[in-house]
Amino acid sequence: MRWVSCIAFVAVLAPGSAAAELSFNKDVRPILSDRCFACHGPDKNNRKSKLRLDQEEGAKGDLGKGRFGLVPGHPEQSEAFKRITSDSKTLRMPPAYMGHDKLSDHDIQVLKTWIEQGAKYEKHWAFVPPVKAAAPDVKDAAWVKNPIDQFILARLERDGIHTSPEADRATLIRRVSFDITGLPATTAEVDAFIHDDSPQAYEKVVDRLLASPRYAERMAIRWLEAARYADTNGYQSDGPRDMWRWRDWVLDAFQKNMPYNQFVLEQIGGDLLPNATLSQKIATAFQRNHRTSAEGGIVDEEFRVDYVADRTETTSTVFLGLTLGCARCHDHKFDPMTQRDYYSMFAFYNNVPEKGFVWNFGNEEPTIKAPLPEQETKLAQLDEAMKTAGQHVKGLEPASAAAQEKWEKEIAGHKKTVAWAPLDGLILSSELAADEQHFDGKRTVDAGKAQPTISYRDPFTLAARVKPETLKGAILSKGEDYFEGQQHALYLIDGKVRLHVTYRWTDLAMRMETVKPVKQGEWQHIVATYDGSMKAAGVRIYVNGELQELKILFDQFVWPMDSKEPWRIGAGGGLRFQGDIKDVRVYGRALSADEVAALNLTEPLNTLAAKSNRSAAETAKLHLAFLDKYAPKNVAQARARLAIATSQRNTFYDSIPTVMVMKERTERRPTFVLKRGAYDAPGDPVTPNIPSFLPPMKPDWPKNRLGLAMWLADRGNPLTARAAVNRYWASLFGVGLVKTVEDFGSQGEWPIHQELLDWLAVEFMDSGWDVKHIMKTMVMSAAYRQASTAGPEMLQRDPENRLLARGPRYRLPAEMIRDQALAVSGLLANKMGGPSVKPYQPDGLWQELQGGTGYKADTGDSLYRRSLYTYWRRTIAPPNMINFDSPTHEVCIVRENRTNTPLQALNLMNDTLFLEAARKLGERMLTEGGQDRLAYGFHTVLGRDPKARERSALEKALEKFETYYKAHPKDAQEYLRQGESPIPKKIAAPELASYAALGGIILNLDETVTKE
Amino acid sequence: MALPDLEARLRLTRRHFFGAAATGIGIPALASLLPAAAPVKGQPGLPGFPNFPAKAKRVIYLFQSGGPSQMELFDNKPRLAQFQGTDLPESVRNGQRLTQMSATQSSFPVVPSKFAFAQHGESGAWLSELLPETAKIADKLTFVKSVHTDAINHDPAVTFFQTGSQIAGRPSMGSWVAYGLGCETSDLPAFVVMISSSNGGGQPLYDRLWGSGFLPTRYQGIKFRSVGDPVLYLTDPAGFPKDNRRVFLDAVNEINESHYEDVKDPEIATRISQYEMAFRMQSSVPDLTDFSKEPASVLEMYGPDVKKPGTYAYNCLLSRRLAERGVRFVQLYHRDWDHHGNLPKDIPKRCKETDQASAALVKDLAQRGMLDDTLVVWGGEFGRTVYCQGRLTKDDYGRDHHPRCFTMWFAGGGMKPGISYGATDDYGYNITENPVHVHDIQATLMHCLGVEHTKLTYKFQGRNFRLTDVHGNLVKEILA
Repeated sequence: MRWVSCIAFVAVLAPGSAAAELSFNKDVRPILSDRCFACHGPDKNNRKSKLRLDQEEGAKGDLGKGRFGLVPGHPEQSEAFKRITSDSKTLRMPPAYMGHDKLSDHDIQVLKTWIEQGAKYEKHWAFVPPVKAAAPDVKDAAWVKNPIDQFILARLERDGIHTSPEADRATLIRRVSFDITGLPATTAEVDAFIHDDSPQAYEKVVDRLLASPRYAERMAIRWLEAARYADTNGYQSDGPRDMWRWRDWVLDAFQKNMPYNQFVLEQIGGDLLPNATLSQKIATAFQRNHRTSAEGGIVDEEFRVDYVADRTETTSTVFLGLTLGCARCHDHKFDPMTQRDYYSMFAFYNNVPEKGFVWNFGNEEPTIKAPLPEQETKLAQLDEAMKTAGQHVKGLEPASAAAQEKWEKEIAGHKKTVAWAPLDGLILSSELAADEQHFDGKRTVDAGKAQPTISYRDPFTLAARVKPETLKGAILSKGEDYFEGQQHALYLIDGKVRLHVTYRWTDLAMRMETVKPVKQGEWQHIVATYDGSMKAAGVRIYVNGELQELKILFDQFVWPMDSKEPWRIGAGGGLRFQGDIKDVRVYGRALSADEVAALNLTEPLNTLAAKSNRSAAETAKLHLAFLDKYAPKNVAQARARLAIATSQRNTFYDSIPTVMVMKERTERRPTFVLKRGAYDAPGDPVTPNIPSFLPPMKPDWPKNRLGLAMWLADRGNPLTARAAVNRYWASLFGVGLVKTVEDFGSQGEWPIHQELLDWLAVEFMDSGWDVKHIMKTMVMSAAYRQASTAGPEMLQRDPENRLLARGPRYRLPAEMIRDQALAVSGLLANKMGGPSVKPYQPDGLWQELQGGTGYKADTGDSLYRRSLYTYWRRTIAPPNMINFDSPTHEVCIVRENRTNTPLQALNLMNDTLFLEAARKLGERMLTEGGQDRLAYGFHTVLGRDPKARERSALEKALEKFETYYKAHPKDAQEYLRQGESPIPKKIAAPELASYAALGGIILNLDETVTKE
Repeated sequence: MALPDLEARLRLTRRHFFGAAATGIGIPALASLLPAAAPVKGQPGLPGFPNFPAKAKRVIYLFQSGGPSQMELFDNKPRLAQFQGTDLPESVRNGQRLTQMSATQSSFPVVPSKFAFAQHGESGAWLSELLPETAKIADKLTFVKSVHTDAINHDPAVTFFQTGSQIAGRPSMGSWVAYGLGCETSDLPAFVVMISSSNGGGQPLYDRLWGSGFLPTRYQGIKFRSVGDPVLYLTDPAGFPKDNRRVFLDAVNEINESHYEDVKDPEIATRISQYEMAFRMQSSVPDLTDFSKEPASVLEMYGPDVKKPGTYAYNCLLSRRLAERGVRFVQLYHRDWDHHGNLPKDIPKRCKETDQASAALVKDLAQRGMLDDTLVVWGGEFGRTVYCQGRLTKDDYGRDHHPRCFTMWFAGGGMKPGISYGATDDYGYNITENPVHVHDIQATLMHCLGVEHTKLTYKFQGRNFRLTDVHGNLVKEILA
């Protein structure tokens, strides 16, 4: 891992040469950290003796009996040195009895020299704020394009290594186009660049690319990986969620070049900013992207704690470049991070009103409605239309009141009963004649299956008149005839009216009952309404029209239910009814309090109309009945229009996407150090704070998530800018200046060019955290522009190209491989943003996971969108992304991984998308290729003409394909049947098939999937 | 400590390349590109591995996902008859953590197995009537009745068994083995996974369970699928016969070679070899799944399901064929053992699907002399409670998850046959003798493969990780 530094040591420590001054941080600390700190480091619980080597005082202090760990200038007197060089198996460190090997001669020599030089300690580099060092002088000043090059070149000159010439223009524009937009340069773009003689030719290309919306898409995808963004929850059955509005926010932020400190601030604490905008609230979805579990039987708190831990660790990995996970269970063994520090950070995120056991069919609270701008406009219009319709109805009220008065007088004299009850939404009604009303504790009445059925999110009303003889029984139910079974049911339990909505008794259910019992031996009207909100708060129970106080017994959301059982009167949950029941009704909506009051009244309208002193309920019943049945035409029409306007508005409102966001509880949830990281083993209480070894928060910052956001986004933070520029560097050069992008701590890699890293970090902050500026600075450097070809010597000496004596050469990331195929074949759909899409995927993958209906691919343009829009199911992520090392988006990943496997070969050869792209590329060769079709296809993908040997290989293959397909035209037709895009009829199938195969060859070349 | 990463990279690249080049087709020019080297059959592991002579050369892990009930299969508890329907005494439950599914249950009535037990073989192993075929090979098996785990829910519990950690992201057991030991075939992956096709029941099984975690992805398990291509994207499209694929690959390789000459990046050489490996897999995998040359007696032994792709029996036979061809780690999953309710009706179905084929696999390996160096493992992610979950009726009951004790069995590969190890109390609720933790099983399994479990490590994010985390003790008593 630290091989480059070791190359340097060889020079430093070569026998016979005077030793140069060693640096504790660079040369010594890595050895101590790797070999000694586990027992002689920051973790107090694991420290094996008084000796502590991570701190100067501990290392040089008196260990008793006249022994000192380190005696500056005197390795032979230093206990630590004596022990690492001891020949005795029992004395030697690190101890053989624990299975550790002796330190290497090289490491011992480094430590010896360091002690001789005075054993000077330094604070860990990453915890000291970066300063901009003057760029070093170099001999070959003409090579330098900007200060980056001075840092790179100075090192190369010191090591006697030569830089590479600038890459040829075709290679360079392909490289920079991928790096800035994630897509290859078009043939026209390549040609334009090759023929542009102006000195600014390259800069013009860079500026054009940075201004492209494709830039935002390229930058977004790495951020989505870091943010563990996905379209599903990630645990167990892995239900869906909708977070794409946050993805759109990220695209927007990159496109507008939002300063990085603002980007950080809004994602961590946007909702807590004064007068937070909708956009700033959406930004905080960053910390809701973690996985969540809807697995039955989980301990809610255990998972909630996991979510908070995920946020804590993601924050440190992404923004600080530190890996804090270890400190969840114990003090960090290598870095000065205590468990207390961990839980102090944790406390910032431990105040969200959230649950561990989540909803499995969409977004889990807290959420907000996140309308797109055009949706906001449309919603305002619909609100306005509803308001206008409402005003119209209101305007007609005096006339309507007069008409009602007239109508009341009219019916007051009627002898004949004028009955009325709410009919709107009534899906089941069972009057039960006088001789059918009695229930003896055994009898039940099958009331049939009401249509439409009531599932989990549907509002309903259950109503009945009852005269109980006992205080326990079932009034009305649908579902399993078992008390803890799946059901909708209305009971009397100890005289109290009880409602059960149960999917699974133990965790997916709602149960509540009235505080007051009903009376025995009297007719009473019982109504329960539910508004479909999936919360117990959405339930009302009325007795004789009066709203009852409720005791909530269980309050969890319910899953989709579709019971085949009929509605049963006098039965349910294994209980029966003793007494009388009549007038049973089920509505597919929640009746209002007025409607319930009206339903409760048995007197007909004519009787009520004749009364002079009417109760509120009586007034309500007359009014509702009048409006329902007897209103003048203009009133009825106005009310119908209002109903339509309301329904349109509500339907539209429901269609507006939501997004899960951060929110603070009103009362802060206390946080404790969790012993061994266990959710149920709280130790000392802690308050929100940042780790003690890093610069503190300013006193006037709030000690909450906003304060954390301000601290992360502050210039005084030594890590934020470094971590960011290091990631950008890695995205261009393939490896970060600190290779361990996720760990700048003492177990991470020492930066290969610390002064360059710091220069970039300060430059980044000085520029106003301007991401485009820093990206441009990097790609404008001569170091970046070099040809990527390595001679055998450099390949041996610097296989990972850390010294940058050549340009970067790496296999493209997964999404660029697919996006390139879409682009060069002409299939790419350029639409930006919006919900995720489902492109082709081999059949059966989702079913293999857990049965069910499986994956259904979209059609049309959705098949050809850029890969960052592909629907991401975490437990079974798209195979053509995973095969090419895309992270699974289950946890935060910031380091790119690259492998080279046979599955990649199979993927490129036989995935529908690549076969279709090859076909379209073949078609382009034939229709656009003119005289030299081969060269045209080659050029379209690689930006250059084929060399003689390449051309002959292609020609040879083409000839064989043509021979075969001319002899087997049916096979040609079969082979062309790949993907949805149309097959041109004008071209003969054998010819097109041959060129499609040729297109496939070009798409499978090493150079094609590589950034050269 | 200075250069291992680099050295490993170079060595692997070189050996991968040579290994493949030696058996490859159609890349004659490669020989001139790189210095000559002795051909290496298979895929290399790490230097120094195995650490000592291995008893087992390979593993076939029959994972029974969902948590099969030890109460109905292995752990005979005759005294339960007299406790039937009474509440599990608090002294036995002892405040034990329950899943939220039964934590709100008002009572915990004890329910004995509906299925009868008997002793089998010379070893006198207790097995229930649900496993008649397993009973016949009892003397070849090593039963461990005192396995316990830390996890109580499926997802973390399966993850724990497969990766040594409840939190996703660590390499799976098979990946560790592939990383450390490589394998003996150049035509197939080192680590293969198969899942019995599902009728929609059972807990989901995720790719990450056989993922390589932070190890390079070439060590991930390759899932052989029961529908469509056995390996994703394996089959060439219709109208593109094998000769065309050869023409295609020759052109790709020729151009890549030409480019290699210019660029000299060893990644290009690796890519050429991986394309050849892909091509070989296009032949070796179909050959693998062609059972037509299997003797009728063998097919009969596995039962009629063996002819249906995707069944457990089919996958068992395929496992043997993979083992024969040098694959290092074969992982089977059979789902739907999660019997919270309807246990008496459902568990016989799972047994019927698996009993005969599991036993046939062991017998088949033994007949071929392969059982000595093949370790077969049978087990789920946890056991089930002695008390009833949900409604207890005359014919029906369920059992909740139980992490405190359950049974696994092993065969071959250095295990001591014909023994039962560990014991539980009269309720089958707590271990009374020789507890074996998940990490202990992992350590022991590694030992059988000749790997000292503390030595197979990988440095990631500043720490050396291993399968057994910082735990794991070898269970010497069950070794032959």
